[in-house]
Amino acid sequence: MTALIELTGITKVLKGQQQPRTILDGVDLTVQAGESVAIVGRSGSGKSTLLSVLGLFDRADEGSYLLAGQDISRLPERRAAKLRSSHFGFVFQRFFLLKHLTAAQNVSMALVNGQGWLPRRERRARVLQALEQVGIAHLAKNRPARMSGGEQQRVAIARALVRDPMVLLADEPTGALDTETGTAVIDALLAATERGCGLVLVTHDRDHAARMGRTLDLVDGVLTQRVTA
Amino acid sequence: MRRLSGRFRSALIIGLQGIRARKMRTLLSMVSLFLGVLAVVVVQAGASIADKALLSDIELASAVDGTTIIGMPMEPKATDIVLDTVDGRTDAVAMLGLTAMIGEPNVTPVNPGAAPFDEDWGGGVVCYGTGPCEPADTLPKGQAVEVRLTAMTGDVRPFRPLRPRTGQWLEFGTVPAMAPRLVVNREAAKGFERYKVPAEMRIGGATANITPQFVGVVDDGDIQPRAYVRLDELATWLPSAGVADPNSGGEMQVLVAPGSPVEQVLTTKLKAIGSETWVQTVDTKKEMESQLKLLRLVFLAMASLVLLIGVAGILNVGLATVGERVEEFALRRAVGTPRMLLAGIVLAETLLTGLFTAAVAIGLSAAGLRAVSVLFGDSEPFLKDLQFPWEAGIAGIIAGLVAGILGGFIPALRAAGIPIATVMRA
Ligand SMILES: Nc1ncnc2c1ncn2[C@@H]1O[C@H](COP(=O)(O)OP(=O)(O)OP(=O)(O)O)[C@@H](O)[C@H]1O
Ligand SMILES: [Mg+2]
Repeated sequence: MTALIELTGITKVLKGQQQPRTILDGVDLTVQAGESVAIVGRSGSGKSTLLSVLGLFDRADEGSYLLAGQDISRLPERRAAKLRSSHFGFVFQRFFLLKHLTAAQNVSMALVNGQGWLPRRERRARVLQALEQVGIAHLAKNRPARMSGGEQQRVAIARALVRDPMVLLADEPTGALDTETGTAVIDALLAATERGCGLVLVTHDRDHAARMGRTLDLVDGVLTQRVTA
Repeated sequence: MRRLSGRFRSALIIGLQGIRARKMRTLLSMVSLFLGVLAVVVVQAGASIADKALLSDIELASAVDGTTIIGMPMEPKATDIVLDTVDGRTDAVAMLGLTAMIGEPNVTPVNPGAAPFDEDWGGGVVCYGTGPCEPADTLPKGQAVEVRLTAMTGDVRPFRPLRPRTGQWLEFGTVPAMAPRLVVNREAAKGFERYKVPAEMRIGGATANITPQFVGVVDDGDIQPRAYVRLDELATWLPSAGVADPNSGGEMQVLVAPGSPVEQVLTTKLKAIGSETWVQTVDTKKEMESQLKLLRLVFLAMASLVLLIGVAGILNVGLATVGERVEEFALRRAVGTPRMLLAGIVLAETLLTGLFTAAVAIGLSAAGLRAVSVLFGDSEPFLKDLQFPWEAGIAGIIAGLVAGILGGFIPALRAAGIPIATVMRA
């Protein structure tokens, strides 16, 4: 069976004003469908950079990236956008909800993005379904300003789930939440893996990391398997 | 194709969402664009209206471009030569100008000197059926109207496109009627409506009072009351000496189509009897047109300058909002919105803003025009029944679109270039 994600020798070098700095150094990572992986590491170790390579926000300088067996290391931007829409879902520490849109509109934003057009009725059904999955269908008409942090993050998760992605990428999604709400958010993400979605979670929280299938440690751009005691 | 329409719809939906979310910004953009678009619309509308009003009035009052007008005093010999020369021709028509009194006999008309009815020119002469004329002031005022009477040898309309208002224009092919048929201009019609005068007409030199039939009203661009009549129908009542009597205030004009030999023949013949002629070929329209075009260009250039300042405004607002919306655009790219669509969204917002502005400007101009037409239509006849010219509407829409594109282009490029990775890192 081909892996959902297979990174080999991913290297990212930052060419700034000074000397080039290697941020990711030969990262190998395999994620199976339905698997959940936690990535931990010190601040500045390159976790977010790794996620942005995974999510096709950014391109690695070296190494290969296979998605379900397909090489996508050197995709043109147009096809990358298409893949982001159809295969990936993103959740960030900051929720990145648009203030001027309701919860439902924030979710349907991932559907109204020029990547295939859905009729209004179908859009509405899928948005509601996604909001239900994270348990906040009753807040569909609320704007972010009138929601708690946990509710806002769940709207963001619904937005990530609405296209039925193959991969969920979460960058410290509980970073801005208290423990209890954070746990609920992790629950919502794990629920998605039960439907066969791969999950990569960047977190500083040991308890959340422990709930994932395995935990990897990123140290100065090098990814190592954490040996759990 | 389906993908394109999907993107188009997405751009419109998202653009409208953006506009609704930032009403203040949209309003500011519209304010900065408004004067420019309004200027373009007003200049275009004004020029179109002026064009139409001036050009058609020129045609109406003088003649169609290319027509040669030969003028001469109305002397018996000259009249005979003229009538002889143009007889049976379609490329030339002679017009004899007379004065007629319509209404009660032996009174001073309500408008001595055939003055327009709302003006007082004073003086005037009244003439009796038996011949002699007297200063009008000596007679008591009465129910009579003085009009200028144009007697024609043929249809004048190929040379001067008089606009029919009501009733009919004169028929020249039929047997002359005993009761001369009259077509009056609007000023005369106004007079007849205001003063219920008896339908009896007196002309200097006429053998008797004439009972005319009124068959229609035309617009001839003349401010004086005037009536048009077939010369042959009038001639029954006038000995040719009477027609030619210079004392009756007569004047004579021959309108000649371009390329017709009549001009040559007539001037030669008239010179032979020592009669004075004035020859003039009409080309005012062409002249006016090029002047108007230049004027319109100058005004449009000024309007464009104002529009450009508006574009700078919309650009400023647009760039500021792109800065403020970096996260939104990065997020949209993250969920798969292509760069092109992102640029399209920003452009859609400014284009829609431009279109809204154009709609407001066009609506206001049209309403303004209507108001002007209603308020001043009575005193300035050319302002009456003013239609908002469609050219001005189109110009406004184009101005709005162009301003939207100019003002949205750079912000759109900026938006499309926002990197996701740097914005979305936590
Ligand atoms: N655009 C950039 N310009 C300059 N430096 C950058 C840029 N992007 C990343 N870096 C550097 O790359 C390194 C890795 O950053 P990254 O955001 O991946 O760290 P992280 O592991 O996510 O940290 P944190 O836990 O604080 O989120 C950091 O040292 C950061 O300063
Ligand atoms: Mg980070």
